[in-house]
Amino acid sequence: MKKLLIFVFSVCVLSTMDVIAQCNAENLSTQCIPKLASGFNFLKSYKIEKGGKEFVEYSYVFTKGTQYMINICAAGANTDGIVVSLFDSNRNKVASSKVQGQFISAIAYPCNTTGIYYIQYTFDGSTSYCGGSALGFKR
Amino acid sequence: MTMRIITAGLILSIFFACSSSKKSEEQAFLEGLDTTKAEGPTISEEVIGDILQSIPAPLEISVLLKESGKKYNVAYLNSPDNVSKYNSNYKKALNLGVYGTDLGYTNIYEQNQDGIKYMASIKELADGLNIGQFFEIETIGRLATNSKNLDSLLLITTQNFNRINHHLQTQSRANLSVLLLTGGWLEAVHVICEVGKANPDNKEMRETIGEQKVILENIILLLSFYKESDPNMASLLTDMEGLKKSFEKVNITYTYKESTFEIVDGVMVIKDNSTSTIDITPQNVEEISSIISTIRTKITS
Repeated sequence: MKKLLIFVFSVCVLSTMDVIAQCNAENLSTQCIPKLASGFNFLKSYKIEKGGKEFVEYSYVFTKGTQYMINICAAGANTDGIVVSLFDSNRNKVASSKVQGQFISAIAYPCNTTGIYYIQYTFDGSTSYCGGSALGFKR
Repeated sequence: MTMRIITAGLILSIFFACSSSKKSEEQAFLEGLDTTKAEGPTISEEVIGDILQSIPAPLEISVLLKESGKKYNVAYLNSPDNVSKYNSNYKKALNLGVYGTDLGYTNIYEQNQDGIKYMASIKELADGLNIGQFFEIETIGRLATNSKNLDSLLLITTQNFNRINHHLQTQSRANLSVLLLTGGWLEAVHVICEVGKANPDNKEMRETIGEQKVILENIILLLSFYKESDPNMASLLTDMEGLKKSFEKVNITYTYKESTFEIVDGVMVIKDNSTSTIDITPQNVEEISSIISTIRTKITS
């Protein structure tokens, strides 16, 4: 009987901890919107939730002559190990926000070639595996 | 005995805590939805959602037009008075997209009086599709009266449309999202075709039209998922495939070169060293424009 009560109590406590640890990627992606640099018009926000995946990926058609900005917002310090990489339609990597061990929180990409681009978020030493991102553009 | 009852009660309370009380509300909402919801696409809604979110916002074309110095011309747009013609969910969703593009165009050019008319039509269509709650008309109207609020206005209207698309997908109504985006794209291409015809020597306009080839392929893919289950979307797909034949005469060549970067004020600024060329003639523009006009007339009349 004692063991059963301890078990039930443990389940209650662990359930509560699970709620506290839930990823609030929606809020983080919304927070990223005003952090787009001046002059950039908001296009989309993206939730970054690792879940059971190796990476999180979205795609968007970028247009020649337009400059795009993608930023990252995380709950912890800076980008919390979240790295954003950009791949062209042939999967050539055209940008990555981690360079020489430094995590950059935003990429500005002036597009020279119209096509589908893949926006990929990976986790490098992340603690929460949770973040948000915003995409903006300007001509 | 008392301990057994308490234990049973604790275990039951855990099970109730885990169950979602929202399920019955959600189920009731879904049952109340319009009966013309498509029976189902031939591919998962998640895949459809992935393709949907890759399609660019028509706002990009409106900004391009404004910054190229082209003058505002309300004659390019679909009259807001036509809203009374749209009685089916199919026509409502398509023209919600059309009017969304028109609203963005009026916003960019700060034509507030026209913008207000489009907002009223959008609200009417959105209400008809049970998504009116996403349009904060009073807020938008207030922002539209002051040119200093342009950034906020564009942000709110973009967010509203993004939320609508997300909502439709979560409610298994992605077919309406597809129509909304198709209508919006068609209207944007129509506007730029009209500008392109008026400025046949403008290479940038021609190239912008030619680039739509990439987006059209995604739109055709999305419509194809519904061709078995929705005769209206099947018909629209046939029209779009006809348009695709004209775009096949447009050649886009791409040369990849590794990009470089520099960090400016904490932002990684990429230098894209790849190049692309878009071969499209004024005759191509005429042909594409004519087909776009035919399809557009079908959906807006």
